[in-house]
Amino acid sequence: MGTSSEEVLLMVGHVRFRKQDGCLYLMDSRLAWAPHGQERFLLSLPYAEIRAQKISPDGKAKVQLQLVLHSGEAVTLHFAGDGDSAKKDRDGVKELLQQLLPRFRNQANRQLEEKNRMLQDDPVLFDLYKELVVGKVISADEFWSNRTSEPGAGAVVPGAKQNVGVSAAFLADVKPQADGCNGLRYNLTADIIESVFRTYPAVRQKYTEHVPGLLSEAEFWTQFFQSHYFHRDRTATSTQDIFSECAQQDNKELLNVIGQDVVKPQLDLNNMDDAALEEGYGIAGLPASAGSRGSRESSNSAIIRRFNHHSAMVLSAGRPDRQTSGENGEEPNGADETQAPSKRVCPATSAGDYVDLEETVQSCAVSLNLMKADRYHHGPVPLLSQHYCTGDEIMAAISALHQEMAEYRPRLAQALTSKAAGQAIAALSPGGSMMQEVGQIPADLLAGPTERQELRQLYLGLSELLRHFWACFPISSLALQDKVIRMKGNLERFETTKIKVFEDKLAKSQQNGNLTNHLREMLTVAYRKFHTWQAKQSAKSS
Amino acid sequence: MKLTVDGLPVYFPYEFIYPEQFAYMLELKRTLDAKGHGVLEMPSGTGKTVSLLSLIVAYQKVHPEEVSKLIYCSRTVPEIEKVMMELKKLVLYYNKETNTPSDLLALALSSRKNLCIHPEVKSLRLGKEVDGKCHSLTASYVRKNRSTDPTVPICSFFEEFDANGREVPMPAGVYNLQDIKEFAQRHNWCPYFLARYTLSHANVVVYSYHYLLDPKIADLVSREISKKAVVVFDEAHNIDNVCIDSLSVNINRRMLDRCSNNIEMLQSTIEKIKETDAMKLREEYQRMVEGLMEASVARETDVYMANPILPDDILKETVPGSIRTGEHFVGFLKRFVEYLKSRLRVNHVQAESPLAFLKELYDKVCIERKPLRFCAERLRCLLRTLEVANIIDLSPLTLICNFATLVSTYTKGFTLIIEPFEDKTPTISNPVLRFSCLDASIAIKPVFDRFQTVIITSGTLSPLDMYPKILDFRPVTIASFSMTLARTCLCPIIVGRGNDQVTMTSKFETREDIAVIRNYGTLLLELSGVVPDGIVCFFTSYMYMESIVASWYEQGILENIQRNKLIFIETQDGAETSMALEKYQEACENGRGAILLSVARGKVSEGIDFVHHYGRAVIMFGMPYVYTQSRILKARLEYLRDQFQIRENDFLTFDAMRHAAQCVGRAIRGKTDYGVMVFADKRYSRADKRGKLPRWIQEHITDGSLNLTIDEAVHISKHFLKLMAQPFSRDDQLGLSLLTLEQLQSEDMLRRIEQIAHQS
Repeated sequence: MGTSSEEVLLMVGHVRFRKQDGCLYLMDSRLAWAPHGQERFLLSLPYAEIRAQKISPDGKAKVQLQLVLHSGEAVTLHFAGDGDSAKKDRDGVKELLQQLLPRFRNQANRQLEEKNRMLQDDPVLFDLYKELVVGKVISADEFWSNRTSEPGAGAVVPGAKQNVGVSAAFLADVKPQADGCNGLRYNLTADIIESVFRTYPAVRQKYTEHVPGLLSEAEFWTQFFQSHYFHRDRTATSTQDIFSECAQQDNKELLNVIGQDVVKPQLDLNNMDDAALEEGYGIAGLPASAGSRGSRESSNSAIIRRFNHHSAMVLSAGRPDRQTSGENGEEPNGADETQAPSKRVCPATSAGDYVDLEETVQSCAVSLNLMKADRYHHGPVPLLSQHYCTGDEIMAAISALHQEMAEYRPRLAQALTSKAAGQAIAALSPGGSMMQEVGQIPADLLAGPTERQELRQLYLGLSELLRHFWACFPISSLALQDKVIRMKGNLERFETTKIKVFEDKLAKSQQNGNLTNHLREMLTVAYRKFHTWQAKQSAKSS
Repeated sequence: MKLTVDGLPVYFPYEFIYPEQFAYMLELKRTLDAKGHGVLEMPSGTGKTVSLLSLIVAYQKVHPEEVSKLIYCSRTVPEIEKVMMELKKLVLYYNKETNTPSDLLALALSSRKNLCIHPEVKSLRLGKEVDGKCHSLTASYVRKNRSTDPTVPICSFFEEFDANGREVPMPAGVYNLQDIKEFAQRHNWCPYFLARYTLSHANVVVYSYHYLLDPKIADLVSREISKKAVVVFDEAHNIDNVCIDSLSVNINRRMLDRCSNNIEMLQSTIEKIKETDAMKLREEYQRMVEGLMEASVARETDVYMANPILPDDILKETVPGSIRTGEHFVGFLKRFVEYLKSRLRVNHVQAESPLAFLKELYDKVCIERKPLRFCAERLRCLLRTLEVANIIDLSPLTLICNFATLVSTYTKGFTLIIEPFEDKTPTISNPVLRFSCLDASIAIKPVFDRFQTVIITSGTLSPLDMYPKILDFRPVTIASFSMTLARTCLCPIIVGRGNDQVTMTSKFETREDIAVIRNYGTLLLELSGVVPDGIVCFFTSYMYMESIVASWYEQGILENIQRNKLIFIETQDGAETSMALEKYQEACENGRGAILLSVARGKVSEGIDFVHHYGRAVIMFGMPYVYTQSRILKARLEYLRDQFQIRENDFLTFDAMRHAAQCVGRAIRGKTDYGVMVFADKRYSRADKRGKLPRWIQEHITDGSLNLTIDEAVHISKHFLKLMAQPFSRDDQLGLSLLTLEQLQSEDMLRRIEQIAHQS
């Protein structure tokens, strides 16, 4: 079953799914359930597909856990252990999922984004998607199932992922509005939430800990805005505030960072003075004794500290992750900045600050590595579907062409004999041996522009479905078996809902009905294949 | 290039030269010829250091019998390193041009903290602890004990150095701190003591001010330096404060309590030694009687801190009888500390002269002046006899003894103030006794007397006649050099009004005015939208910055600023500020842009440069007057008035303006650099204030840039920044602000160079 290679993180017995008793497994990357006594998983969900989890209220008789998927479906698991053990099991699963899901959430989002991008980039694909998925011929998963594995569709697409920084003032964008009855409304967008999470990982942590279980999303954010954590000038911490921990964590982190050595010695203020005066000497005198600062000042210095922290966090949130920075070369405006900082400091630190006195000015500046010079000069422009050639490219192409032409030598020795060539041409001409089934009239004479458009859609849709269908052969596993049956149903559905309708329309408008002949032919071949397979199958089982 | 400065051949390690550098060298040469002192002001970023080094080194080569050594004093460790880099470059150039290896020996000296290579000691990091640990491993009695008991830990590096290190002098070359460490590591010698030993015969020495100005250290380190040396104080705009700091002492109650513990500890040690080794104490006593206290050749490692007073003021007599035995001395100290404790039990501020203090001391507890003067000396002697292991634990007692010696030695130019509480918190009792030096000339006088040429130089020394007055010396040259510019790369503007025409000022009466604070906020907000990369802001004090930041936060101004740039703020904690600075630079690097809020007179304003995009604009919010209610300041002002005829207001304005100039000067570090300097206070418009700014800033303030509103300021900055952002190449500079050798030699140019120096 392929489970041997996966690590099972948690195994819970007595879990009911669709009224069947079974065992729930939480593995590295997926969640699975198998009925008792069976080896086969009837339920297998990669974590990336799970959007959220919900649990039944404590008072309820049934202890349940519901998993909401990105596709909108929900899976309900019933924990059927005795008394408290059921709840304990459920909570165990919940906790673990809480830790696991955020890890896969990004992956899921990235996949979604990727798909979205592919649809936007490729109008043909988009049409197809509309035809098949929106038209409910096949499900979205099936549509994507062998798209994503295509070469070139992965992360290597240039400019695929850019790390977008966080606005420093994102909290200021949450403008509270009085709602007229002594309350405040905060407008939160997904962007702001994302910014908060990226800047304050501690809040994200709290969110994942509290939100499905203890608090609703709205309650969570209400608490956030009420907490001192948001109001940076409040220092009093109440114990029930769930964010008081965050503040402490932040402070600890801050101290941690301070504890580390400052990288640049010329910025290290503490080691700047060579022989600092000892305590008691000098007119500045002694360090202020503790407690001499009023609460007012300490709240002010809290603000200052928070601002420093906030800015530092925003800065680090915008920093590309070190491990990925090598791959995603393109930065905003196509300028490659990842290698810049180490080199750019050199005018400040080199021995002579007086570059202009040197004989030869070494250009210390980093040359801008522009991937798309136009975008640098004009700012980003909306992507156009047609291919865009810059002047340089055209010139290069022309000169290449000239060169090719100049160097062209016909290699007659390798050419076909004139007789063979004549035969091939004859065979491929209308009416020739290879072109017998094609009508001799070109399609544009047969049908009007709207019909042609529709026909094109039909071809696209059908060929996609057939591609899925034929991809199932040879049928080597149960999953493929399921799929091929499903695909056959899809084909039939396509035939009745699309092709038939189109034919009827053609008939109504008194037009040539054999436009769809070729489509039908392809279908017949597929059906024939399916039937022979089915016959063999039944012969085998009987 | 090889220049001839007034007949002196000078190797200058660059192919081009700024006209003002040549002018600077001319003045310098005249000062050296006259064997007098000089005050020279030249803007930062015009290559002061390299001009100084190449001229003085050349002078040494030609007149070795007149100038034998260059002592270059700088303020911070990074600055010391920078000087060494320039020097290395110069020596390289010498080698290349003359084709013979240079025989120049130059080295940097720093404290043990930066030089120690003993793995255990250097891991301590805090300077005081490193010193103490080093002492406990290298003191002569420790090493003597070692010869009888091999388990006593000693420092192998020092032993190795002591055995072999003095035989051959260090080979010629330029050694920065790292080089000394590496050289010493190769021989397994102690770098610190090697450097201190080499000091006496090196041609160039680079170290910090304290090694010359603080008698506690200077007497140890710099005593044997030849008188034929040229001393340079670079970045000397704060030199008077360094002088004052080195002779001032503060004592609070906690210090006295720790001191009492120290005394008890000493007492018990004396008791113990009496039982076991009474000979030792008797020997010590005998030595005292004979007046041979220091005759036993004080080993360099034994002295942790020298006498706090200047060498000339030390009494050359025998120790008076009342403190000759150890017990008597400890009893004496006990009485003195108890007296100080009683003095701290006051409820109102007391200010008195040292003489009055001594008189009362005699009346109350019968302590005479003479034994008091020997306190510091006597304590050191006792500690050596008792072989106290950890000398750092005794620092409170050392402080008290130093105070005793200081207060009984100096009767003029000092004041003694006892404050029962801090001014800001009158309800919390925190009594402090401040013994403060009022006269900067006391500490620096021996330097002026001893060395034939002392050069005081900085980017901001205006008004130039102030320094000779407060340091009490007669310079032979005083000159200020302006910056020759091919394009006006600095844009000083004085913003005096908000858009609502409300006057902007940090004057005490209006500084808390909500309109002023709001206008300051608007100014920063508007500029943050116009200026690329980094903006540095300076406030007049930390308290003021805190309160402004708080009200900006309440008014939502900071949030709006955050839309444009990230905000970083200096705090009172050094490490935290260092981190903020680093993040600030990172934000400037990656194009996000950032604002640094910081404080004039703070560490950032003194030590950090904001070159190029790290500082495209500096905003000085208000005038950085010193806190005028401080009693020490009042006493100092009074003293200056009585002794040097400097009016109080003149000094205060001078002090405020030099700090303001320091702050705004942080952003312009060269001719290719550019930046806006915003003086956000109406008072800067007045001629008496403006006139105290350095020439090189003053000459770019036109009538059109006085008392602007915020809108006008933003408009001017926008225009300026756009202009400056255009490419700027060498050809634009050549012949104007950058010269080749031929250009330099033309008659016309020489005449123009003559005009660069403004004698006052």
